[in-house]
Amino acid sequence: MNNEKQIVQMRKVCKRFGKIKALDKIYLEICAGRIIGLLGANGAGKSTLLRHIIGLYLEDEGQCVTFGCKAGKLGPEELGRIGYVHQEGELLDWMTVRQLIRYVSAYYPNWNRELEEKYVEDYEISMKARVGSLSPGQRQRLAILLAIGFEPELLILDEPAAALDPVARAQFLDLLLQIIQAENRTIIISSHILSDVEKVIDHAVIMKEGHILLDCSFDELRERFCQVRISALGKELPAELPFENILHCKRSDGQAILTVQDCPRERLKEQAKSLDCWIEIETLPLEEIYKIVVS
Amino acid sequence: MSILTANLKHLYQRRGLWLVYVFLGFIVFVSIAGTLDKTPKRGECAILMMSMFFIGFLIATLPIDILAKPFAYCLPGHRKVPRKFIFSTGVAINLLASLIFLLYPVLYLYWPHRIAVICSAFFAGMTLYWLGVGSAFIFRNLTLWIPLLWFSIFGGRIFDLHIITERVIVEEPAVVILVGALSSLAAWFWLDNDGLARRYCARAWVGFLDIWNKNKLQKYKQARAATKPDKDKFKCHLKPSVESFFLDRMNKCDYYGPARHIWGRLYTSFGILLSKWLPALSVALVIVCVSAYFPPIGFFIFIMAGSMMAGGNIRSVYSSMLITVGRNERFITALTLAATSVVLITIPVIIIAALSVLLETIMPDIRLWGKTFTFEAINMRPFFVALLLIIPVISTFQLIFYRKPILGLVFFMFMFQLLFVSVIFWRKPLLTVIANPISIAGLIVLSWVLFLLVLRYVCMRRCLVGQG
Repeated sequence: MNNEKQIVQMRKVCKRFGKIKALDKIYLEICAGRIIGLLGANGAGKSTLLRHIIGLYLEDEGQCVTFGCKAGKLGPEELGRIGYVHQEGELLDWMTVRQLIRYVSAYYPNWNRELEEKYVEDYEISMKARVGSLSPGQRQRLAILLAIGFEPELLILDEPAAALDPVARAQFLDLLLQIIQAENRTIIISSHILSDVEKVIDHAVIMKEGHILLDCSFDELRERFCQVRISALGKELPAELPFENILHCKRSDGQAILTVQDCPRERLKEQAKSLDCWIEIETLPLEEIYKIVVS
Repeated sequence: MSILTANLKHLYQRRGLWLVYVFLGFIVFVSIAGTLDKTPKRGECAILMMSMFFIGFLIATLPIDILAKPFAYCLPGHRKVPRKFIFSTGVAINLLASLIFLLYPVLYLYWPHRIAVICSAFFAGMTLYWLGVGSAFIFRNLTLWIPLLWFSIFGGRIFDLHIITERVIVEEPAVVILVGALSSLAAWFWLDNDGLARRYCARAWVGFLDIWNKNKLQKYKQARAATKPDKDKFKCHLKPSVESFFLDRMNKCDYYGPARHIWGRLYTSFGILLSKWLPALSVALVIVCVSAYFPPIGFFIFIMAGSMMAGGNIRSVYSSMLITVGRNERFITALTLAATSVVLITIPVIIIAALSVLLETIMPDIRLWGKTFTFEAINMRPFFVALLLIIPVISTFQLIFYRKPILGLVFFMFMFQLLFVSVIFWRKPLLTVIANPISIAGLIVLSWVLFLLVLRYVCMRRCLVGQG
């Protein structure tokens, strides 16, 4: 990762809220062009980490640098390269959708009107409606539009699909896949809906209680954890299976289902062959991997 | 622990009520202080009883808050808890409050009469308490009643409502007791209503103490918006000419310079006010009349409006809507905004004062309840001085207590009470300070310097959203 262009660098970042340690010695490097899934339970420190990147929070210790500038000192030029969809959903309620878009777009020299129109049409956002009268889902769509309208280099999505219904969520994922096509665009997406996230990310960061438990590419993550189904061919399975790093084992009638960590697939196949067993190796869904990592 | 005891715990667990206790303490202080001069029929004893309307209003919001949650008070034995809670609290508070009439100066001769008056005070309090409880159950957005609270405090004093109430309590105890007993009986049966839990279940509702609860206000607005016809949803409050004016100014500035952000912030802060100039002018005219006929009310309305405007604007420092505004830009725009608020509030003050001078010769006297109110030209100086002082002070409070506004208000009220006590005990030295232009100028400069330092600290060092 170090050879690539780093746009965010967090070194030993600590943050406390009273007695609660929200971030504890966080080291994180985010390279351009990555789609990063930031995963963790409520209170794991995901939003706190994201807010440090854009300078809304200031670190107690350590340093957070975004686009080569200390996050707390980010100016209009750097912020003009960052799009942010936040949990609070704060918008100017008294404006109409059209007025709000015009107001926000006035801050960005590279606002893309075509993208705006396409998005408004796809998402059926009423331009005449007052922002305050929008439903939570519509508000979220508008917030997403405002964050992507200027085609930011770094797009930070903090629980973007939380308020969307299944159809809108699917549309949002399609849109995200379109956005991803742009080269060198970096997206950090924090979400609880892991089934959605795994469709788009290429890098995963898993957090728990202010710590980063895991920071690796998604492919690597999928390689590391797998589910193995072993069936005995003719005879009984041995009482003790000779595989390494078994996290979980479930046996029934000459069959075993194992969850295995850090064991190369070729080796698994060889071992199964030596046992005269039929083996089927499956990649674990992100949700299962996440459960294993945090537990 | 009984269900009722668990519910009574809300009286100290709900932090918003702490503000009410400070306020109540102030009223008790005023009432007792008023009786000390032994002059009968001044009305101070009745102030506490009159406040029972708002006490009832507030107390009722606690069970309503629970009723509005799904399946609340549906378990066996829970159904009658709201009634028990409201009744027991009302009776206890009114019993204590009615004891203030022991201090009533002319009642020391006849004990039976004294007891009758205390009973009368108790039932007068209960009647007003039930009015408050009923209002809380009827209306969906109780924050709209806040102006009424201020009016009752100042209007009540101007129109001598407290004196009238006290006279009725003392002179007509039988009638007051009868009305109080009947209203209590009616309330007892009404609160026993089986459908109470059903009717209030999941009801979109904003309580008196929810004024700072952003999430609840948002949910309430959305629930209201869903029931409104389309024409209301699409009603635009911002005039196109105002929008064009500000956007044109923004677009003429450098994208990354502070000027664009300053115009943007002025747009979001004053766009609506400038779009609604006609209603604003009408309000200004009403304020002229109120200020000229009833100077303390007008003064207070103006100071409140100015404070709310300045306080509301400064909260934009904590906006989580990410545009290209960095911490430095937040500082510059907030400072500009505070200065602009002074200018924008000063202009109407000057217009209002000038209008009052013009109208002084033609406006007639008003007679209300035997009192004559004369239209007097407004002296601009106290308004201006108060605003110059109040705007930085309120803004500083808003910045410091952004996440705990209730604490800010409690602190502010405490300071106000301290000032009130100081006026009683150190009237002369205080008047010397107020009358001295140098000391006033010093206070103004001090308040602005303090505001500047706090604003700088918040913008540069503090977390700008969430819990930090």
